[in-house]
Amino acid sequence: MTLLSIDAVVKSFAGVVALDHISFEVGEGELVGIMGANGAGKTTLFSVIAGNLRANDGAITFDGRRIDGLRPDQINRQGVARTFQIVRPFGNMTVLENVALGVLYGRRRERSMAAAEAKAGEILERLGLSDRAGVLAKHLTLAARKRLEIARSLATEPRLLLMDEVLAGLTPSEAKAATELVREFHASEKLTILMIEHVTRALMALSQRIIVLHHGQKIAEGTPSEVARDPRTLSVYLGTAPQ
Amino acid sequence: MTRRLLPTASVVTAAALLAIALPFLANSYFVGVGFTLLVWLALTESWIVISGMTGYISLGHVVFVGIGAYMAALTWLTLPIWAILPLGGLAAAALAMVVGYPCLRVRGPYFVILTFGLSELVKYVIVNIESALSVSGRVLFGAPGVETLYLIALALAWVSFMLALVVRESRFGAALRAIRDNEEAAETIGIAIGTLKAAAFVLSSIVPGMVGALLIMRSTYFDPLEAFSPQTSVLIVTMAVIGGSDRPLGPMLGVGFLVLLQELLWANLPQLYMIVVGALLIFVVVWLPGGLYGRLQRMTTAAVR
Repeated sequence: MTLLSIDAVVKSFAGVVALDHISFEVGEGELVGIMGANGAGKTTLFSVIAGNLRANDGAITFDGRRIDGLRPDQINRQGVARTFQIVRPFGNMTVLENVALGVLYGRRRERSMAAAEAKAGEILERLGLSDRAGVLAKHLTLAARKRLEIARSLATEPRLLLMDEVLAGLTPSEAKAATELVREFHASEKLTILMIEHVTRALMALSQRIIVLHHGQKIAEGTPSEVARDPRTLSVYLGTAPQ
Repeated sequence: MTRRLLPTASVVTAAALLAIALPFLANSYFVGVGFTLLVWLALTESWIVISGMTGYISLGHVVFVGIGAYMAALTWLTLPIWAILPLGGLAAAALAMVVGYPCLRVRGPYFVILTFGLSELVKYVIVNIESALSVSGRVLFGAPGVETLYLIALALAWVSFMLALVVRESRFGAALRAIRDNEEAAETIGIAIGTLKAAAFVLSSIVPGMVGALLIMRSTYFDPLEAFSPQTSVLIVTMAVIGGSDRPLGPMLGVGFLVLLQELLWANLPQLYMIVVGALLIFVVVWLPGGLYGRLQRMTTAAVR
């Protein structure tokens, strides 16, 4: 069943076309990767889906309902969560408070602070952040802040999670742990994931399907091995072979 | 939530109950100082509901005081006091409701300037209304004595403090603090930022409106230039910042400190007061970012360790 459908979405900034009639679908329970060089429009695509930016044209349908034009908080309550590439923790609040906010205002809309903190505690446990629960978010290391970013998104109980470069800036062992985490959540929570990743190896290993963006256009789509052999992908990443 | 609230709430309530005794024990000079202290406390605690929690610094909170004062001046002797005070609060809330949503769309220094400009705008609108009606200042006859006004100020300060405390520890307040730290992230985890900011702005305007009505009963004279004086807004910000504006206990320190300073300087060097206030504000912003309360808190946690 199709969970997310992007139909001819256009986004331009003062004449520069960041997304040029992008269309694709994501099925329920899928893990889809998005690849592309800097400036390909990957993060813009996430911002448009999550409602942080408004598309100039096209339609975005989530679970059979149009979500383009809704505010980010409304889209989140429909079940779409995103993480930010440049992490955005609530720095002056504790790690626990950060995650509890997701439980309080996300899809669950928990009314009780105590229940929200209990639920947040469970999420921190699963992400291995329990020992940092009382620390102010601004005092975390980058790897921990990336985990917090994921924890806070998961706390809103999404059906679709948009993960923007959660591995960037991590050491290889941290990245490996984070990759495992993604795999685990995808498997156990029936979570649909759309992920942007520069670390191509991780993306190839995790994704069931990959979409390649280049200068705002979708140039390839398929299984990791199909995409890896696609001449258009190769030309973007390696340049065109001389004739 | 109640678990965290209870100790502070009960201590402050007990202090407020004790403070009821002041008019029966002290002479009217001290009652007057107490009145001033409580009025500033009421204003500052209300201010932190919007500015302390969300980081949207309002430099125009006097507009609510002025509107409340004007309402009281207009209805004086036609309505009883118990109706005039809530009317002042209601008028302020109505104004906040109208201007809040559009104003809160701009952040940082733009919001500061906008609120300042707005309060000046409303001031001159009322100056012009008054001169069109050929009224120059309104005198309030038969206002209650300072002892009664003191007790009303005490009640308002208590309400304002409790409001700040409850908001600080509530689900609503957590969202406001998230907005202060990162508005876009807050929005993305389901927080309806526009509505919540506007709600906080309205909540923070009610007590100042009532205080405005109370203040002209004390001065028994309404003059728009005085009632809407930008100095009031600046003092609210300074008291909150000196004390530490994140928690309800912070402003208590700031208010106590500045009112004391005012009483000391008033007799000898009144013109120096605002200069000292400005210098203090700069000092605190640069060297004591968490204010007096933040400093104390760090010292005590260091001592515990």
